[in-house]
Parts: sequence; C-alpha cells; structure tokens
Amino acid sequence: MIQYRQIHKSFDHPVLSGVDLRIDTGEMFALFGPSGTGKSVLLKTTIALITPDMGDVMIDGESVYFGDDGSLARARRKVGYVFQNAALFDSFNVFENVAMGIPEDVLKRMPRMELARRVWEAIELVNLDPIEVLEKIPSELSGGMRKRVGIARAIIGRPEILLWDEPTTGLDPINTAAVERLIVRLSDNLEVTSLVVTHDIEGGLLFCDRVAMLDQGRLRFCGTPDEFRRSGDPVVQAFQDRAAAERALDMAIEHD
Amino acid sequence: MGRGTELVFDHAGALGLLTWAMIMSVVRLKVPSREFFRQIYVMGVESLPIVFVTGALAGIVTSQQGGYQMTGAIPQYILGSLVAQTVVLEMGPVLTAIVLVGRVGARITAELGTMKVSEQIDAYHSLGRDPVVLLGTPRVLAGIVVMPILVGFANLIGILAGMVAARLDSGLGFESFLYGANLFWHSWDLFYSFTKALVFGVSIPLISVHMGFRTQGGAEGVGRTTTDAVMFMTLTILILDAMFPPLLLN
Repeated sequence: MIQYRQIHKSFDHPVLSGVDLRIDTGEMFALFGPSGTGKSVLLKTTIALITPDMGDVMIDGESVYFGDDGSLARARRKVGYVFQNAALFDSFNVFENVAMGIPEDVLKRMPRMELARRVWEAIELVNLDPIEVLEKIPSELSGGMRKRVGIARAIIGRPEILLWDEPTTGLDPINTAAVERLIVRLSDNLEVTSLVVTHDIEGGLLFCDRVAMLDQGRLRFCGTPDEFRRSGDPVVQAFQDRAAAERALDMAIEHD
Repeated sequence: MGRGTELVFDHAGALGLLTWAMIMSVVRLKVPSREFFRQIYVMGVESLPIVFVTGALAGIVTSQQGGYQMTGAIPQYILGSLVAQTVVLEMGPVLTAIVLVGRVGARITAELGTMKVSEQIDAYHSLGRDPVVLLGTPRVLAGIVVMPILVGFANLIGILAGMVAARLDSGLGFESFLYGANLFWHSWDLFYSFTKALVFGVSIPLISVHMGFRTQGGAEGVGRTTTDAVMFMTLTILILDAMFPPLLLN
C-alpha cells in the first residue's frame, strides 16, 4: 500500500499543493492530469527521486522520509520504477542494464548462471527475444524495445510495487496497445501494486481498478473508471473532452 | 545575501558534501574497479598525445623567447635553467591542467549531465545504487592517479623540446643546456610540480562531476552547464596556481 500524505512541492512555482492519495495493495491505479500538473513529480516523491517540501509517503505503513536510516533503501527495494524514456544506461548492454535491477547485495552473491537465467526470464516476460537483444546497447534498440528493456529492469528485482511514468509516451498506437497489455499482464502475473501515470486516459480507464486526476497541484478526482466517466465535475469533463479530441487527432494523423 | 553570494555558498556546500561522499566510498572500499580503470584509460592514455604536443610547444616557446632575451652579458647556459624551471614549475602542470579541463572535464560534465537529464541518474537511485560511488568517485580517483603522470610526461617532453630548440635557435649545446638546468635545480621543484598536478587532478574531475550532477533542462541545459563547468574549472586552476608560490615557494 502506498499513501501520499499532504505532499507539497514547489520549483519556481507550486507544483503539488497538499496531495493526499492512497493506493491499496494489489490495486492497479492510474493517475491522469494535464501536462505540468505534477503527476511525474508525485510519482518521483514515492522513492525520493524528488524530495517533497512538506508531507510524507508511506509504503506498507513505513514512512519513506521520517523513518530510520534504512527506510528509504527498503522502500526502493520494494519498488520497481519504469521511467518515461526508459532511462537505460548508455554504456551498458541490455544484459547489464537488466541485471542492474537486481539489488546489489543479492547480485554480488548470485551465481553467474542464475543471473543469466533471471535476466533471460525478465526479457522474455516483456515479449523480447533474449538472443536478439541481450548483447545490444540501448542506442541499437527501437523506442518500443527500450521501453520493454526498462520494464524488464524494473521487474527483475521482484518488486511489490510498480511505478509507471508515462509508459506509452512516444509510442505508436500498436506499441501503445502492446505496452498496455504488458502492464496488465505483468501486474496480474507478478501480483504487484501498480501506479500508472499516463496521458492516455482511454487505456488507463480500461485496465485500472481506480483512477485519479490531478489539476493545478491538487487531487481533483479519485474513484473508479465508471465514476470518472460519469463525473459531473466540469474540469474532469473538460479534461476528458480534450483528451478525446487529442486522441481523435492522433488517429487521424496516423491514418493519413 | 545577494544572488551571487548565495550561489557561491550553494556550490561550496554541494562540493563539500560530494567530496565527503566520495571519501566515504573510498574508505568503505566501494569504488568499482572496472569504471576506475576505464577512466584511467580515458583520462590518461587518451590524453597523452595532446599532452605531448602541449608540453613540447611550451618547451620550444620558452626556449625561443628565453634565447631572444639572452643576448647580453648573461651566460647562455642559463637558458637551460630558465626552460627547466619554467616548464617544471609552471608550464607543465598548468598547461596540462588547462588541456584536461577541455578534454576531460568538459567530457565528464556533458556525460553526467546527459545522464541526469535523461533520468539515468534517477534510475541509479531507484535501483538502490549510489551514482556518486559508481560514477563520481572513479573519475576523481582516476584524475588523482593520471594527472601527476601526465604532468611528468609534459615536464620531460617540454625540457627535451626546449633543449632541442635551444640548440637550433640559439646554438646552445645539449651539455651546456643540461649544465644550466642542473645549476639552479632543486628537488623541491619537482615536488612542487607534482603537488600542483595532484591538486589540479582532484579539482578538475571533482568540479566536472559536481556540475554534471547539477544539470537541468534537457540538451540546452547540458550545453549551458558544460560551458559553466569549463569556466569554473579554468578559473579554479588559475586561482589555485596563484596560491602555490606564496604557500610552497617562500
């Protein structure tokens, strides 16, 4: 379970202004919102990639920011983070990138064969061919393949929570659908809690148990996908209309 | 407190914390040896050609300009001393450092800056790895190891090139040149030269790593931070260089 408690964060201007949110264990949760409303910032506060100015994050009841010396390390160990642009290490090949997802102390003790098996398994789980990609460096991979390798790196450490930062951004519709199916399959198979930050509200509404919407640094909506669709809140409605129009435009461009 | 003062304290504090984190990673023997040796190769071996050229040109120019001034009653063999002292005390360490600012420092800042803006540094954190230990410390340690060696080569090449130039330009024989070089030679001079090299060898990678980790704002941010880092490193080298004579030559 992840709990965000009164998260405040400002850069030049306030980005998050007291966000309270709870994601239950095993839940698939999507976070929507217009660009610049702090979705990714909130996601990054979960494991202190960005430190909030005020507030705390609790993971399975343990404070990330006000716990003991090891609380942040324990939180990071429980979490697999899928970055927006995969954030693969340029100088490492795919094998080394994925292997980095295994905690350092475990990796040091792990026999080479076991490591190879785990990496192979993770690559297969994200629907890539290990023989084809393992020796490649990130610059030799397509955008969709890089995303999948990033996902493999996030899941190989067997996390309890997966955080997805715009997992379908920059992908064509076919790859978007494939990655969305992958998110659902992995979340089910690995029995993890998933928090997905996405601009693709159609996908999010399809595969998530609950959704929330951030607007101007505050939580504007939190509920089931059906409640989101039927919401009478004009801001939520306007956001849905705008997203639908953008999607139609994208499809028209793709069709041309 | 003005914006400038705030910025100076901000950099000083961050550099202090970075240095402490690096010292602790060395004390805890956590430095990745593969990355350390890779940096030795990148900073040291790959810099040798440009250091050789710089050292040789420094020796030649010093010899030629010194020879131009030796037309009076001063014995010509003094040129040997002039070249050796100038190269060892000043030109060797400082020019090598300036070359490394451009070749190594800018590269480190751009490399780490790109990793920062493409979230690779965040990825290290998210995977429970410390980027200071994995990326910062090996670069600074490599700088400490390679800089004195590079300065040693620059000194040697500079003196040899100066000796050849003195023969061709001023007609000073090798024996006379070496006699002059020995006449005012102190072994302390070599210690002074290598101490400078060591200090510059810490400063260049430390500042470049610090600036790389602070990069923000995409490709434009990487460019801006790299330019700032080169200016910061060059100024630091020149200021440190100016502090050496009162501290070690008096």
